[in-house]
Amino acid sequence: MPIIIISSDSYKTGRDIAERIAKTTGYDYVDREILGPAAAKANIEEEKLVKSLEETSSFLGLSSKMKNRCLAYVQEATLGQLLEDNVVCHGLGAHLYVLGVSHALKVRVLTEPEELARQLSQDGGGAPEKSRKTIKRLEAQQRKWSLEAFDLDETDPSNYDMVISLSQIDPDEAVRTIADMSGYRKFQPMTYSIKCLKDKELAGRVRVALMERFPDVRVQANGSTIVVETKAIKREKQKRTEAIKGLAVGIVGVDYVEVHVANDIFRQAAESSR
Amino acid sequence: MAVITISRGSYSKGKEVAERVAERLGYECISRDVLLEASDHFHIPEVKLIRAIHDAPSILDRFKHGKQIFIAYIRSALMSRVANDNIVYHGLAGHVLLTGVPNVLKVRIIADMKDRIKAEMEREGISEEDARILLQKDDEERRKWTRSLYGVDPWDSSLYDLVIHISKLRVSDAVDFVCQAATKDQFKTTEPYRRKIEDLAVACQVKAALVDPFFDVGVTSEYGNVLIYTKTGDRQVGKLKARARAIKREVEGINHLEVHAGVQFPENAI
Repeated sequence: MPIIIISSDSYKTGRDIAERIAKTTGYDYVDREILGPAAAKANIEEEKLVKSLEETSSFLGLSSKMKNRCLAYVQEATLGQLLEDNVVCHGLGAHLYVLGVSHALKVRVLTEPEELARQLSQDGGGAPEKSRKTIKRLEAQQRKWSLEAFDLDETDPSNYDMVISLSQIDPDEAVRTIADMSGYRKFQPMTYSIKCLKDKELAGRVRVALMERFPDVRVQANGSTIVVETKAIKREKQKRTEAIKGLAVGIVGVDYVEVHVANDIFRQAAESSR
Repeated sequence: MAVITISRGSYSKGKEVAERVAERLGYECISRDVLLEASDHFHIPEVKLIRAIHDAPSILDRFKHGKQIFIAYIRSALMSRVANDNIVYHGLAGHVLLTGVPNVLKVRIIADMKDRIKAEMEREGISEEDARILLQKDDEERRKWTRSLYGVDPWDSSLYDLVIHISKLRVSDAVDFVCQAATKDQFKTTEPYRRKIEDLAVACQVKAALVDPFFDVGVTSEYGNVLIYTKTGDRQVGKLKARARAIKREVEGINHLEVHAGVQFPENAI
C-alpha cells in the first residue's frame, strides 16, 4: 500500500490533517516522535534535529555542518519508517528527499490565512494583523530552508501531486480526497518503486555511518552496491578509499562498495602553498 | 450550482480538464468568448488583443490607462457571464478577475515539463530543445503578464483551492476531484450569493462604462443601488455625474445611482 506524505505551511495544520488521514485509512502515523530515538543514536540533542527541519544554518543557530549531520540522521530514521509501507508521514521533510518513488503520494495542505494568523498569534507572534506580515516572512523562510537543505523549493506546487487550500475546502473534505487518492493504482507499490525506496534507505544508512569521519560524502545505492563520492587531496585518495570501504562493507545490505574520490583542489592548493 | 475557474499553462491538459468538467456537470465552458466581448469594447481586433495578452502587456500601455481599461472591460464581460451561473472558465486569470465572487472554485492544473515538451514536439513537429525554449518563454510571458496586470504570481498555489499535478494523476482523476469539490455546499450559489454576484456584475458594467476616460473611479452596488466614488473633487465631477446619469439608462439592474466625490474608495469597490 502507498505512503502518504503531507507537507504544510503550518506544522499544526499538517499534523492535524495527517493524523486524520491515518485514522481514516488505518495507516501508521509517522511524525517527529521518531526524532527522540534518532537523536539518541546520533548523540545529538533532539531539539537540534527539530531545528534542522525548520531553520537555515546561521552563525548563532546551527552550523552548516551540524545541520547536514542532523538532516542525515532525520532522513535515515524517516526512510527506515517508510519502508514499512501503509504510512502517513508528516513533519520530517520527506517530500523533499523521497523523490522518484511512485507509490509516495505527496500532498501540500495550505492553512486558511485567518487561521494561520491566529495560530501564529497564539504562538507569540503578536496581534493577528502583525501575524499576517509574519506569514509572508515565514513563507520566504520555508523556501530558503528547503532550497538550502535539499535544493528544492517546498512552496513549488510541482513538487507535489496535489495542493489543497483549506480556505474554502473544509478539512474533512481534504482528508477524504487524500484518502481516496491513495487508493489509486498509480500510488500502489510496484517492484521498481519499492526498490527505489530501499535504495534510498540503504544510502541513508551508509551516509550516516560515514559522515562522522567524512562529512562531505555523497552516497547512492543500487541494490546492494554502494557508490560513494568524496573529495580528498591526491596523496590521501588511497587511504580514504580504503577507510570508506572498511566502514561501509560491514553495513547490513551492502555487498559491494565503489568509491569515487575527486581531487580537493582547495585543500591541494592550500597544501602546496605551505 | 457553482462557478469554476481553471488556470493552466500551455500543454498542461487544463483545457481538456475544463471541457470535461463542464460536460459532466452540464455547465457552460468559456474562455475566448470573454476576450471577444472585451475586444469589441476595446475597439481593437481580437488578434491584437490576444497578442497583447499573451506576449506583451506593454502594448496596452500605448493606450492611455490601457491596463485599467482592459481589466475593467474583460472583468465586466466575464462577470456578466458568471451572473448566469454554472460556468467553467479556463481563460485568463479567472481567479483574480473574479475576486469578490463568493462561490468560485479556483483550480490550477500543472504538468511535468517533460510531458509538456513531448506534447509540443508532437503537435508542432519541432526538436526537444526548441520545444523546451518555447515552453519556458511561454511560461515566463504568462507569469509576467499576470504580475504586470494583477500584481500576483499565477504560480503561487495559495491563490487556488486545488492545484492538481497531471503526471501520476490522469485527466479523468482531475475531472473527478474538481467535480467532487464543486458539488460541496460552500461552492453552491445560494440566494444571497446570487444577489451578490448580480451586484458585482452591475458594478463591473458601470465601471467598464466609465473607465474611459474616468479610469480612477471605484464602484459598488448593493441591491442595485450603485455608488460611484472618485477621489477628485474638481470640475471633472460634473462630467462624471452627467455620464453616470446616461449610464443609469444604459445598464440594466440599476435602481439608484449616486456619485461621491473627494472620498476614499471602500475596500470592496470595483
